[in-house]
Order: sequence, then C-alpha cells, then structure tokens
Amino acid sequence: MPDHDNVVLIDDNLWGELIELTDGEAALCFQCGVCTASCPWGAVRQKPLTVRTLIRQAQLGLRGENGDLWLCTTCAQCEVLCPRGVDITCVMRALRTIAWQRRETQEGLPSLLWSIFWNNNPWEQPPSQRASWSSDLQIPTFDPELHEVLLYIGCTSSYDQRAQKIAVALTRVLESAGVRFGILGEEEPCCGEAALSVGHVEYFDEVAAETTQVFVRHGVQDLVTVSPHCYDVFKNHYPELSSNLTAQHYTQYLASLLDEGRLQFNTGIDLPVTYQDPCYLGRIAGEYSAPRKILASIPKIELREMEMSAEEGLCCGGGGGRMWLETPVGERFSDLRIGQALDTGSELLATACPFCVTCLDDSLKSQPASRMEVLDIAEIAARAL
Amino acid sequence: MVASLYGPDQEAKSIWIYLEVDGDLLAGVSLELIDKGRQVCDQLGWDLAGLLLGHGVSDLAAEGFARGLDQVWLADSPQLKHFTIEAYTQAAFQAITAARPSVFWLGATPDGRDLAGRLAVRLRTGLNADCTGLLMDADTERLVCEVSGFGGGVLALIEMAEHRPQMATVRPGVFSAGTPDHNRLGTVVPLDLQISEDLIKTRVIERSTGEQVDLTSAPVLIAGGRGVDGDFEMLRNLASLLDGEIGATRPPVDEGHIERERQIGQTGVVTRPKIAICCGISGAFHFVVGIEKADLVVAINSDPSAPIFEHADYCIVGDVHEIVPALIAVLNREREVALG
Repeated sequence: MPDHDNVVLIDDNLWGELIELTDGEAALCFQCGVCTASCPWGAVRQKPLTVRTLIRQAQLGLRGENGDLWLCTTCAQCEVLCPRGVDITCVMRALRTIAWQRRETQEGLPSLLWSIFWNNNPWEQPPSQRASWSSDLQIPTFDPELHEVLLYIGCTSSYDQRAQKIAVALTRVLESAGVRFGILGEEEPCCGEAALSVGHVEYFDEVAAETTQVFVRHGVQDLVTVSPHCYDVFKNHYPELSSNLTAQHYTQYLASLLDEGRLQFNTGIDLPVTYQDPCYLGRIAGEYSAPRKILASIPKIELREMEMSAEEGLCCGGGGGRMWLETPVGERFSDLRIGQALDTGSELLATACPFCVTCLDDSLKSQPASRMEVLDIAEIAARAL
Repeated sequence: MVASLYGPDQEAKSIWIYLEVDGDLLAGVSLELIDKGRQVCDQLGWDLAGLLLGHGVSDLAAEGFARGLDQVWLADSPQLKHFTIEAYTQAAFQAITAARPSVFWLGATPDGRDLAGRLAVRLRTGLNADCTGLLMDADTERLVCEVSGFGGGVLALIEMAEHRPQMATVRPGVFSAGTPDHNRLGTVVPLDLQISEDLIKTRVIERSTGEQVDLTSAPVLIAGGRGVDGDFEMLRNLASLLDGEIGATRPPVDEGHIERERQIGQTGVVTRPKIAICCGISGAFHFVVGIEKADLVVAINSDPSAPIFEHADYCIVGDVHEIVPALIAVLNREREVALG
C-alpha cells in the first residue's frame, strides 16, 4: 500500500480549464506576488490570502486545500498593481467555478443558490414581499411608453430594512428631479450576481437568461440600479443585453441629472463627510467621479478623503459572496475602514452600495462613542433636496 | 409513470410510522406522528403500526404501544446498531413489502429524510418531503399532504392517487405528542432480517457527538443582542424556566459572551421556534432572517424605533435588565403555585 500522505495528486486538466474559463487571462501571470502583498486580507490576518500561490497551484495541477479561495472578496485591489494587468477577480471566480465542478465548495453557499432558485433572491425572503418596501409610495410599474428609466432595486434593497431606506431615498431624489421612472415591483427578477460572485457561472447564466426575458417582456431599455453589484452584472456579464439595453449605477444617473440641471440640492448639509468607494463602482467600473460630483453639488458639505481612497479604496468585506459567509471578529475590513473614516473627523461616512452600508454600519456599532453615521449617497442627496 | 410495487388495491388499511430512536428514547417527532396517526386510525378504523429498527431497542416497543400503536414491527440486530442507509433501507423495504401499509410517515430529521428518499425510490412510490400538515380524506382514503414552498409563500396540497405506500416526512413540531397510557398493549411482529454483511458499505469507525446544540429544533428561543450587555446568565435562567435554548446576535458572540454555535441569522443558524423572545436586539436584517420563521416573536428593547419591533408580534419597550428579571420572578412564582 502506498503511503497516501506523501502522494501528490496532479490534476492534469486544472490549468487547461482555468485558461479556458478565463479566456487566457490566467496565463499572463508571471508569479511576481504583488497580488498577495497588496491583498487586504494581509492587513487583518497573520497569514495573508496567497493569491499568487493559488494561481501557481493551478498551473501545476495541484489541488491543495483551497479554503482561502472563498476568502477573496473580488475587490480587485490586487489588479490595480498587477504588472501584467491580469483580471485576477476573473481568475479567482474561475477557480471557484472549478471548485463547484469538483464539489469542493464552502458550507453555506449551496443554500445561497437554492434561495435564488426558490425565492428569486439570495436572502431567503418570500417573493411576495419583494415590493413591500414601496407599499406606501405609489411608484408606478414600469411602462416603456411612459417612463424614461426602469429603477432596478435589487434583492438587498428590496428586503433588508436598512437598505430599503436607500431605495426609498432614491425614489424621492428621482421624483424631485422630475424623472419619469417605474419599478417592476413583485415581478422584479434577481440579477444573479450572488451566484456569479461565488463562481457558479452555470447557474448565473440561467438566471441571467430568465432575467433578460423579463426585461425584454417589459420593454426595458434604460435601467438604473441601486447596487453597484447588480450594475456590474448587467453591464459586464449579460452579453445578450449589451446591444439594446443600457445599465447605469444610480450615482452616474444622478450626476447626469445634475449636468442637465434637472436635479438641484437646495438644503445645505453643514458637515464633514468622507466617501467609501464601493469596489464594484470604483475599481471594477472605474467610476470615481460621479459620487464625488453629487456630494460636491450639495451646499456646505465638506468632502474629506480617507487614507486608501479611489483606486486604492479599501473593500468593506462584503463582495465575492462574503455577505453570506462569516468573518471572524478582528478580521473584518470594515472595522479598519471605520477607523480610517473616523481619522478624517467626518460626521458622515458616505458610500453607494447596500453591502458597504451593511458592513460599515455593523462595524460602526462597535464604536458606540462615535457620532459618525453611515449613509448611502442616495440618502444624503434626499436630505439635501 | 412507473407503477409502485403494490397499488391501492393491494394495500393493507394501516398507517405506519418510522420509530426513530434518539439516545435511549423514541424521538419526539415519532411520538408526535403516533398521536396524529392514532387520531386518523380511530376515525377510519385502521391499524396503526410502528417500524422499530436498531440494536437493543426492543424495550421501546412498550412506549410505542403506550402512545397508541397497535403493532410494532421490530428488527433488533447488531447490524442495525448504527444508522447506515444500506441496512436501514433494506430492513424497512423488507417490512413494508411484507405488510403493504397504505401510508408510511417518517420524521423529517436527517436520518428520516435520508431513509425516506432512498426507500421511496426502491418502492417506486412518491414521497412528500418536509410536510407541514397531514390530512386523511375519509372518502377517498387518500392522504393529503401540505407542503410549503417559496419561503412559505405557497402552500401545496399533494395527494397520491396510484402509488403506495403514501410516504411523507413531517417536520418535527408540526403535531404534538399525546400522553402515554401505560396500560395499553399491542403486538410485536419480529422481522427476520436478511442483510448480508457486504451490503453495508458504510463502516462506523468512530461515533463522536460533541456538546452540540441544535437551535433549529428548539421550541422556545431566548435571543440576546448587544443590549443584554453580556448578561447571558439572566437569559439562561429565563430559558431554563421555559424549557428553551439561548441564542445571540453577532456582537455578543464576537465579544465572547456566548459560543459561535449559538449565533442566529444569515451567517449563523436559521431557527423556527414556536416562540422567540428577542432581548436587547436592534433587529438588523441579517439577524432577523434567523428568527422570522418563528411562530411568535416577542421583542424587548428600550428604543421604541428599533427595527426589531416591525418583526415582533409583541413589542415591549423597556430595559431588558428590568423586564427579564421581572418575567423570571413571575415564572418562578407560577411554578411554585403549580407545584403546590
């Protein structure tokens, strides 16, 4: 009997599959290790997330312990510094895809996919309650004849009570600018980002195809999302949509309304504010200016940038499926981020993503002495109308 | 659709219940199913039988009779000492095909679900899994199972026309257990088990059970949040008076006041108790997900605008450090009166 402890099993197909799944991206890596060094996990853990090693193991066909794979928040901080310009989030996602195929997944993630399947949302919430956030608001159902844009709320802002406030605030801002918009209410489909973020591409493609059909049926051409995560999948991962449907994040849309003079802020907010760049709006979509433009248009507000902002922005810890996985105390990026925000002396911590709001709010609660408040830009904009 | 191994015209007019053994006793869900089965059988004039598998479990048959069974089909063998899917399926298959009951119920426990699925395939019959209600139509003699889907948004009523036995797994806690009558008697039918050793592919190397808590099946849940200030002793006292378990939101777990296994919510445990008492919990969404399936929610919080109140049936605005001790005092007093 061979001693199995000393046997190294080579998976001959691993590298080939990774190359195919990443469209060759993984082959560009020349193993310099900047990714590992720049990964924010290094700031909170003794042992960093060894991005380089994960890619190297795949090159060699080694299937080692890959628990680290599920740590990645796909924040793309490493990509900014990668000298070969590797789309590392794509590589990490592809490694996860392979892990699903080999049934090496993380506890808790299958139920996330089942929830999308059964409930049309990743939060295990009843589909019939999807529009309950808007029950007092009388927002019309989207009609292509009447409306300029579809406001796509997304699952988190539909169900999470904290994030519902973002959706409510945004509708107030849009109404004040005279925008003719509608929602899909209970019929709004899940965008599938949660499935994609944990690497289950097959199921994501299924969700995307169904969701596309719903949009086609409703004659949707221009949609505005609350979450940068939904925006990312509509813009970058819904190939069938790209030709006849445009997606914008709401900060981009509000910035254009400001340019056109349709949106105005009449109430000053006399407070110092700092801004957390959501990864999927900033690094992934390259949108740093629109949210800052909105803040700058509000009278009296003073924007103070944090350490690590814009391209270097620190992730809240909620991307890449981490919203559905537990992160031990002491290892939460949002704790660090709250410290950086407090260092600016700001009284408002602005962001533009429901995941960031949830994570930052949670970390702020452990600082009871602080007077700072975490608000989404939509909420700040609504206060400034 | 493939026909089942026997059809309605060959069935025996009886309801069978899988008697799951939990430690040295019959599992709670089995007792609940016996009570429900007794009521149905009395109505229809049918027999109620239990299937008892294990090693050294024959004494439990008497408990089954006391609870309402007419018969217990018993296989007591070293091969059944531990639950292995191969041996248990074979034993259950042998008993079912011999007795041909019309109806077979199992608890929707990990073992019950495992066994039911494999057995249903082998019997070529259907299985209504994870039922939240059972009804026998006295005219058609068909079982109508209530199954909830889409997060409780849809209730489906399903019956089986042609396939036998009509199998269902039932969630623990749907029915209540009756009171035993130890003078009741029944018949034990020993099963001559035919299992060859090489059928059993599972070998139990070591069986270890930790100090594991199972909050998912606790009927009463006392949950504490940041507002409890780490005083889980107080909540433990309340829980012990109500035969409940304690749980917590993430902050007290982070601060080490209570173990991680008791964290409730999106990244913890999703519970479905009959009563959840939420103490000093603001009600963040990722916590609420873990208690919203409770039948009844009582929330205690000093902040009247706390979001938890929107999910509660009873809202108590006040300091948990005053209200919980007062509640404990009342419960203690009631208990003393009850004990005379």
